[in-house]
Amino acid sequence: MPPLRKVLIANRGEIALRILRTCREMGVDTVAVYSEADREALHVRFANEAYLLGGPAPADSYLRLDRIMEIARKTGADGIHPGFGFLAENPALVAACEEAGVAFIGPPVRAMEIMGDKLASRRAMIEAGVPVVPGTTDPAADVDEALAAAEDIGYPVMLKASAGGGGKGIRVVREPSEMESAFSTASGEAASAFGDGRMYVEKMVVEPRHIEVQVVGDRHGNCYAIGTRECSIQRRHQKLIEEAPAVNLADGVSERIQEAAVAAAKAVDYFSAGTVEFLYSRGEFYFLEMNTRLQVEHPVTEEVYGVDLVELMIRVAGGEELEDLSALEPRGHAIEVRINAEDAANNFMPSLGTVSGLRMPFGPGARVDGAVYHGMEITPYYDAMIAKLIASGADREQARRRMMRMLQELHIGGVTTSAGLAMQILQTEEFCAARADTNFVERYLEEGRAPQREFADDLEEVAAIVAALHRIHQGAAPLRRESAAGGGLSPWVAVGRQRRLAGRANR
Amino acid sequence: MKYYLSLSSGREVELEVLEQGPGTARLLVDGREVAADFLDVDRLGQYAVGLDGRSYAASIEARSDTQLVVTLAGESFAVTAVDERERAAGELAASRPKAETIMASMPGIVVGLRVELGQTLEPGDPVLVLEAMKMQNEICSEHGGIVQEILVEAGESVAGNQLLVKLAPLEEEA
Repeated sequence: MPPLRKVLIANRGEIALRILRTCREMGVDTVAVYSEADREALHVRFANEAYLLGGPAPADSYLRLDRIMEIARKTGADGIHPGFGFLAENPALVAACEEAGVAFIGPPVRAMEIMGDKLASRRAMIEAGVPVVPGTTDPAADVDEALAAAEDIGYPVMLKASAGGGGKGIRVVREPSEMESAFSTASGEAASAFGDGRMYVEKMVVEPRHIEVQVVGDRHGNCYAIGTRECSIQRRHQKLIEEAPAVNLADGVSERIQEAAVAAAKAVDYFSAGTVEFLYSRGEFYFLEMNTRLQVEHPVTEEVYGVDLVELMIRVAGGEELEDLSALEPRGHAIEVRINAEDAANNFMPSLGTVSGLRMPFGPGARVDGAVYHGMEITPYYDAMIAKLIASGADREQARRRMMRMLQELHIGGVTTSAGLAMQILQTEEFCAARADTNFVERYLEEGRAPQREFADDLEEVAAIVAALHRIHQGAAPLRRESAAGGGLSPWVAVGRQRRLAGRANR
Repeated sequence: MKYYLSLSSGREVELEVLEQGPGTARLLVDGREVAADFLDVDRLGQYAVGLDGRSYAASIEARSDTQLVVTLAGESFAVTAVDERERAAGELAASRPKAETIMASMPGIVVGLRVELGQTLEPGDPVLVLEAMKMQNEICSEHGGIVQEILVEAGESVAGNQLLVKLAPLEEEA
C-alpha cells in the first residue's frame, strides 16, 4: 500500500480546511467537493482541484456518495478523508472506497459498524471488560416499551437514538410523565437524521463529567492512547469548550481510562484516529461511545502532544506502521472554544447572515482553526460552527487566561456567536476548579446568575455608554450631507482622521 | 438629550449628553461626568472607544434602532437604548394589551404544530416546533394570547421572518 499522493476531502467548512492544511504541508494534492452554497468557500479556493456536488441541501451534495466516488475516479484521488459529520461514520463510504480501490482515511468498516450501533458496541465493550452504564440491551420501538424499560432501570433515564450521534435524538426523562413528549421529539429527530427512530433507554449517571481518550492505531496491530480530554462544557450534548488533558480526576483514573480506551479500540481491531468517550462520576468511569472518526476537539490533543492527527491518519491509510506513540509526553495544557453562529441569548437560535468585518486573535499560544472570512454567508443548511479557537499554555490557568485574551481580540461582525457565553463560562468558579459536569451549562443558563468577571472595568456600564454613543453617532450621520469639510465622511470618521494626521505631524 | 439604557441583566443606566462635538462627547452617566471619544473603525460596527482615558475595542450589531448588541472584552451585552421621546411613547404603548405574531426566526421546516385555533396560551407556552440546522427548536409564545390564525401546516418549509401564527391579546381581567 503506497503513501497517498492525492486526497479527496468529502466535507466542507472548518474541518475540510483543517484536513487540507495538513495535506498541503505533506505535499499531498487535494480535491475539494462543494455544494452550490459553497462555491466561494475557503476549502474550495485553497484546494488543488474542486468539483461541484449539487444543491445546497446535504442530501443533494455532501451526502451524495455516488457523486463523490465519481469525482474520486475522475480525479485519480488515491484517498478519501470524510472529516466529521456527513458520511464520516457511514460504512457505505468505506465499502465504496474498497470497491473503487481508493484508501478510506479512517477505521475499518467492521469497527465503524459495531461502534455506530449503540447496542452492538455495548455488547462488545462488556466482552472486552470495558465498564458500561446500566441500560437496555434491546432498543425500544415505542413509548410503552421505553416506559417499561425505564421502570426496570429506575429514573432518571436517558433516551438515545439507536443510530444516533452528535447530540441528535437524545433526551433526559426524569419521570414517567415526561416520556411521551421526549420519545416523540427524540425519535422524530432520529428518524429524520438517521432514518431510524428506535430508542435506547439507559440509566442517567449523576453529575457526570465527559472524559474522552484519543486513540490512534495502524494496520499493523499497533494502537495507542494519546491522552485524555475533558468536554463537560456542553449544552444539549453539543460541546462548547474542550480541553486536554483532563484534570481533577481521582488517582489512577487517567491511566486506567486510557487503558480501557485502548482495550475498546483493540476489541474492534481499530486503526486510524478515533475517540473513546466516557462518563466520569465520583471516581468511576463508564463507556459512552466511540466516535470512529476525527473529532472536532482533536486540536487540544495535538497542541499538548505535539502531533498532527490528520497526518497520522493519512500515513496509516497509506499502510505505514506508526512509531511508538506511547512514548509521547504531554506538555502543558490546551483549551478549545467552538465559535458557533448562534445566539445564546435567544435560545441558541442559528444566527444567519453575512460575516462583515473579522478580527482574529494572534499572539503566543493562539491557534485558530476556521473557515470564516469577511463576506461569508452563514446559511441554514449546515452546522453552525464557523471557527475554533485553541489556546495552549504551560498549565491550565495560563491556557484559560490566554483563551480569555483571545476571545477579547476576536471580532466577527454581522452574525451573533457563542463566543460571549464561552467568555462567561471560562470565568466561573466551576470551570476554574475543573469540576463542572455535563449539565453545568444548562444549569448556568437557567439560573441566570450574574457573570463573575475578572475585569477591573464595569463592562455593563461601558456597554451601556457605547450603545448610547452609537445612537448619538447614528443621529449625527445626516450632518454628513451638510458638512463640506468632512468630504462626505461622517464627522466622527473625519475627526478621527484629522487626529491621526495631527499625531503624525507632532511626532 | 437623555438616554435610558437597559441591559439584559436588568441593570438600568441613565445617560445625559452634556456637550457633543464631532467624535467626542461629555456625558453624565448616572450622575457622574464622563469624557468620551468614539471612532468608527470600519463603518461595519467596530468602534474605538475612550472613556476618561480607558480604552475599549467595541463592536455593535443593531437588531433595530433601539435594540443593540454591544460586544466588549469578549462578551456580548444586549442593550435597549431609548431616548427620552421614545421612552415617553413606549410607556403609552405598554399600557395596552399586546397582540403577538409568531415568526420563523430562520428558514426551516415546521415539524409540528402545538396549538389549535381559538386556544388560549399562557406566556411561554409552546406554539410549534421548527427544524433548522439539523436541530429541532420549540417556538414559544412570549406574552400568551388567543390563537387567531395559523398560516402554516406541519411539514411546510418556511422562510426566515415568515409569519407563522397570529395571536390575539388576552382580554384584560376586569
